[in-house]
Amino acid sequence: MTMASHSDSFSRAHRIRRARRRRQIVRVITKRWWRAAARARFGFVPLGRRREIFAQQLREAFEELGPAFIKLGQLISIRPDMFPPQYVFEMENLRDAVTPVPLEVMRPVIEGDFGRPLEELFASFDPEPIGSASIAQVYRATLRGEPGETYTPPTGAALPTGAELAVKVIRPGSEATITADIAVITPLVNALNRIPALQRFNLPQLLSEFSESLASECDLRIEGRVSDRFAFDFRDDPYVMTPSIVWPLSSKNVLTMQYVEGWTLGHAREAEAVGVDARFLATYGANVFMKQVMVLGRFHADLHQSNLLITPDNHICYLDFGIMGTIADDQKEAIAQVLAATVYADAKRAIDYSAELGLVVTHDKQPEVIDQVADLMGRTFSHMPRDVRGFAMGFLSIMNEQRVSVPRGFGLLIKALVVVEGCAQMVYSDIDIVDAAKEFTTELVLTHMLRPARLYARIPRAIDAAMAELIG
Amino acid sequence: MLTNTDVMKFLTAWELLHETADEGLKAAIARGEQTTQGQMASDRGAFVDGLAAMIDAKKEVLKDELTNGTDASLTEEDSPAIQAVTELRFEVAELRGRLESMGAALDAIAAKL
Repeated sequence: MTMASHSDSFSRAHRIRRARRRRQIVRVITKRWWRAAARARFGFVPLGRRREIFAQQLREAFEELGPAFIKLGQLISIRPDMFPPQYVFEMENLRDAVTPVPLEVMRPVIEGDFGRPLEELFASFDPEPIGSASIAQVYRATLRGEPGETYTPPTGAALPTGAELAVKVIRPGSEATITADIAVITPLVNALNRIPALQRFNLPQLLSEFSESLASECDLRIEGRVSDRFAFDFRDDPYVMTPSIVWPLSSKNVLTMQYVEGWTLGHAREAEAVGVDARFLATYGANVFMKQVMVLGRFHADLHQSNLLITPDNHICYLDFGIMGTIADDQKEAIAQVLAATVYADAKRAIDYSAELGLVVTHDKQPEVIDQVADLMGRTFSHMPRDVRGFAMGFLSIMNEQRVSVPRGFGLLIKALVVVEGCAQMVYSDIDIVDAAKEFTTELVLTHMLRPARLYARIPRAIDAAMAELIG
Repeated sequence: MLTNTDVMKFLTAWELLHETADEGLKAAIARGEQTTQGQMASDRGAFVDGLAAMIDAKKEVLKDELTNGTDASLTEEDSPAIQAVTELRFEVAELRGRLESMGAALDAIAAKL
């Protein structure tokens, strides 16, 4: 057989595989669409409920179609600027738990990256993974070294020989599988984008962002660097920690870090039984988020129950820095102003400052939008605990109905705030994160107000006003 | 010429000013505390009331710090020079981490040669 015929038969097999996968995708999506249409009584249920039904079926279709679609769904879950809130919040429920592959399949990845047998790299390595997702698996191991030796990570305390480690390893072929699926769905997405009703979702752009984020998620060194930066940013915080990275045992496909013992938020009661103040930590988490957004300008945008631990020594441990949001310096003040206006239920001020973040409500729509937002604040913030999730859903729905485009950073921020509330309320359902936001934003807004340059510019007007009040 | 009556009038005015300001502040604190408990105020005064309530709460912390001599509001580490050094130290440590990872990658390549 000649080289040319080898290549022909390979590309023919490749084309057949792609066609088969395309048919499978179309079949699953069509099946779910019909199921959703039937449950929505072919359009006879109200719009909000209809969207919830379709969103649920789409989420289940994504779970059925595997890793690429699970990742795509996760991307939708952080894009309230592009998708209706029902879809965004439904995609939070995507379960990225897949059957683990045996260590013998993963071993070549680790040994290939370090050129040494696994047994020479670690003192011990547990073959059973402690976590398994579509892109990576996590194992427990211990640090190898001479007795008395230590490794000093860029942040955190030195790790002694024998220290417990968590080793995250990229599943072989996961990136290629997802990339192949992207190639299969690209023509489908381009075809869907020709339907006028779907054009505003800009699906090709979403797909292109998906490819970019995938490349970053499949290079674990990026996650390690972000984790180090986070640890450094919170180095003086008595209640926040993140695992130290062991760089000599980290590469593109392997990230080795300190193993942290702790409870997930759903098991906070067990932590309390040994004296951990879980209620305080849950509330404190909201403050940590505010600091990330309004002071540091970078925030963990992929928080969920399994990315947070409560440790026996009374810390919140942040894990998995796959997705980070960033805030430009000039936007931090506007965010503080919008949040302060929201917690003080001042709809007009919230809308005014939102314009500085790119959420522009045209003059003709402003009175109606402000009335709607004020009404929403009344409904969601008038009882305790205040309902941030309800407010966010309502706010995004108003913007959606009024055809006001929500900038990406703004959407990500709202979504992250809702997740922070969800995490806190998973520990205690009556925790009100608006209280934490109130104190933080009030202090920050006050600091901005008392800037010398601002005071210097405003003092003449203040004196005029005071004189007018006293004398007039 | 300054008389005793003038001084008394000045002190009385001073006392009245303080009393009025104090009453205003107490009212603002009370309104701010009510807002904290879930009652909403939809005007910009709510911010000032909330701030007054917060300042009142912080006053107790300050009292405690002054009594016990535990004021930690400004430490040596807050100085810009020390912050710059700390930031630089982290960057060096981060760079060391990258080099360690690259070193491991080089070892892997060397082992394959």
